[in-house]
Amino acid sequence: MSKKPVTQPALHKVIMVGSGGVGKSALTLQFMYDEFVEDYEPTKADSYRKKILLDGEEVQIDILDTAGQEDYAAIRDNYFRSGEGFLCIFSITEDESFQATQDFREQILRVKNDENIPFLLVGNKCDLEERRKVSYQEASDRAKQWGVTYVETSAKTREHVDKVFFDLMREIRARKMEENKTNNGRGKDKNKRKKLKCVIL
Amino acid sequence: MDFESPDVMKDFPGLYASDVHKAKSNDIEYGEDAEKVTKKDILIGKRKEKKDKKDKERGYAALEGESSAEESYEVSPSKSKKSKSFKFPTKSKEKREKSRDKEKEVTEKKKDKDKRVDKKIEKDKCKVEKKEKKVKSEDWCDIAEVLPIFGVNLKLAIEHGRCHDGIDLPVPVRACIDYVEDYGLTFENVYKISAPKSKVIHIKKLYNQREHVNLVDYDVPTATSLLKMFLRDLPEPVFTSELLIRFEEAGAILNVALREKHLKILVGNLPQHNRLLLSWIITHFYNVTLNEKYNKMNAQNLALCMSSTLQTSHRLLTALLCHCPALFPDTVLERYIYPLTSSSQLPDDPELMEQELQKQESLLTQIHSEMNVGFISKQREELLWEVQRIITQLKRKLKTANKDREQLFEKIDEQQNEEIVENTQITQPSPTASYEPETTPVQISENVEETKSVENVTASETIIVPETNVSDSPNLAVLHKQVIKEAEPEEVEFVESESREFKNALEILQIRNGFLSELRDSFIKQIEEDRAEIAVLKNQLTQRDWTPVYGDANCASLDEIMDLLQKENQILQIKKINLVRQIMEQQEACIDLKTKIDAYSKHNLFA
Repeated sequence: MSKKPVTQPALHKVIMVGSGGVGKSALTLQFMYDEFVEDYEPTKADSYRKKILLDGEEVQIDILDTAGQEDYAAIRDNYFRSGEGFLCIFSITEDESFQATQDFREQILRVKNDENIPFLLVGNKCDLEERRKVSYQEASDRAKQWGVTYVETSAKTREHVDKVFFDLMREIRARKMEENKTNNGRGKDKNKRKKLKCVIL
Repeated sequence: MDFESPDVMKDFPGLYASDVHKAKSNDIEYGEDAEKVTKKDILIGKRKEKKDKKDKERGYAALEGESSAEESYEVSPSKSKKSKSFKFPTKSKEKREKSRDKEKEVTEKKKDKDKRVDKKIEKDKCKVEKKEKKVKSEDWCDIAEVLPIFGVNLKLAIEHGRCHDGIDLPVPVRACIDYVEDYGLTFENVYKISAPKSKVIHIKKLYNQREHVNLVDYDVPTATSLLKMFLRDLPEPVFTSELLIRFEEAGAILNVALREKHLKILVGNLPQHNRLLLSWIITHFYNVTLNEKYNKMNAQNLALCMSSTLQTSHRLLTALLCHCPALFPDTVLERYIYPLTSSSQLPDDPELMEQELQKQESLLTQIHSEMNVGFISKQREELLWEVQRIITQLKRKLKTANKDREQLFEKIDEQQNEEIVENTQITQPSPTASYEPETTPVQISENVEETKSVENVTASETIIVPETNVSDSPNLAVLHKQVIKEAEPEEVEFVESESREFKNALEILQIRNGFLSELRDSFIKQIEEDRAEIAVLKNQLTQRDWTPVYGDANCASLDEIMDLLQKENQILQIKKINLVRQIMEQQEACIDLKTKIDAYSKHNLFA
């Protein structure tokens, strides 16, 4: 315990992606500050840091809330590269946003060059059941195809908001531990090689 | 191209010493548009001179050269090939190394296009540095060579070493000037004494690698030498190659007034960045000469020290220094404050927040553009997130600050409204009685007069149009006016007790605004009511029109209708006149109030 102030808590970097207006910022703000903002204001990029307890362990989460609009696609890569986990968000009331998740997924895989990057497919606005355009089945099928989890959330009612972030962080943590293991097991040389080539786990 | 030459040498060992090679390397090195005249001169057929210079430089270069260049070539694996190629007699080897040093310096300064070739040199260099400092990562070295601040043309230097406060000067220049302005103005022989070159080169490297440099850790000669080095490294003189001769000519004019005039025109002709840099340097030097008493550097001395650095004559520089106040009257050497880091406290003042936000956004843009060029490292990514986080925090803070301000405004409005309600309650029973002890006698009389006149109007109206309730609105207006009159001094009084002048002014403005909007609202109400009435009347008219025509259509009824219409028309016109009069009165009252408010606020200020 006395070590705590010396060693920085683990830092997990989460990136929110998805089309414009699906509720990336709303989810982030709900998670960060327990607030729900009604008025829509397009994000360019915003970054937050929060200390949380993840299964009894103190960790820090860095959340990067990206722009849904294509206008900012140029700076997106710079952020994607440094992300450790991704929440890919669409609105269940808008099919277009669901279709766009495919592009986002591809883009992330291209930048990260890693099929197993921690990733969650998130259907937001599940409080608007009456306006649903994307069925649960459809979305979870896609998630299954990608090998990721599908969760439906509502930034308004806070349903599953914590869940998506915590689930993703657990994935990131598991992933990091796995990486450490392989690194330690194989020694330094392998470590160096790892830098050059991607590893398929 | 450093790689190229060894190959070339392997094939043609003798080639190295020949001028052909010189020319070749020259071509490669100076294929860029950014050409440095002096460097070129040195390289083109001035080997002897170069040699001499090298020999001179040996004294200080020995340390660096031995610990860096040779060591790295031996150690670095990529150079193993090269070490084989070092089969030449020692002499040429020495020469080779010298030229290598030279080239290294050059590459460090130039290049952002010969990236790929240079990268390897840089990597070697990087290794050297690793040996020396053992802290830097490879990534940090890349940027020094891809996007250097020193040795590129001014525009690029500004781009690469951007100051984020909107003043387009490279960071090292700002830092040096700030430092010398702070600590160096009274330093004896400032700008004359120079620091060890190795030290200055080291700081230059740090700047090129975007490491944070704090000049306070060094001394005045180091700062002045660094500034000199930056200026000397510029491929083109600050005065630009085209204008330099004209500057010289202007500087040689004997007539002082004419000289000033010509110099002024020429300064105006300089490209924006050059003009800014020149204005800052000269203003700074001028400040140095102002402290001649302490630093023993008058314009003559300083010009002598700086003329070679600025690639100009001593005479021109002296002239510029002497005309500095006239040439650059608006130049203020603003201190550069770096964008905040995550550890520092964010400002609370909305204005400062706004400024900081701009800085951070400028920084963010730069980081993005650097990353897009390929300068990617863990630290940079870290920085990117950090800056992004600060921006987000700032934006949030600004938003809440704005919200708070709005809430404050709303509160004030509410307060006003409450007061108005109170006042109306008090004034309703006896509108003419002024219950406020503060109101001046003049005001009271005005009140009385106005309310009376308006009451007259109301009376006349109620007589003319008994069926409508328009008559209420003038009453309301009267009340409003009354309220305005009486609430005003109270509010001012309240403000006075706060005794904060700025706040006073702001609140008074808000009060005025509030009352004006109230007036407007009441007018709108009146207009609406009148419109409604007009509609009613029209309806009545049409009804009366139709019934007589189809009922009993005789001349008598027509006359009657005409009479009625005319009457009604008259009524409407009177009403209109009344309304216009009321509006006029209201406006007059408004103007009265405005002047009174001004008077009160002034009174407050004096009190």
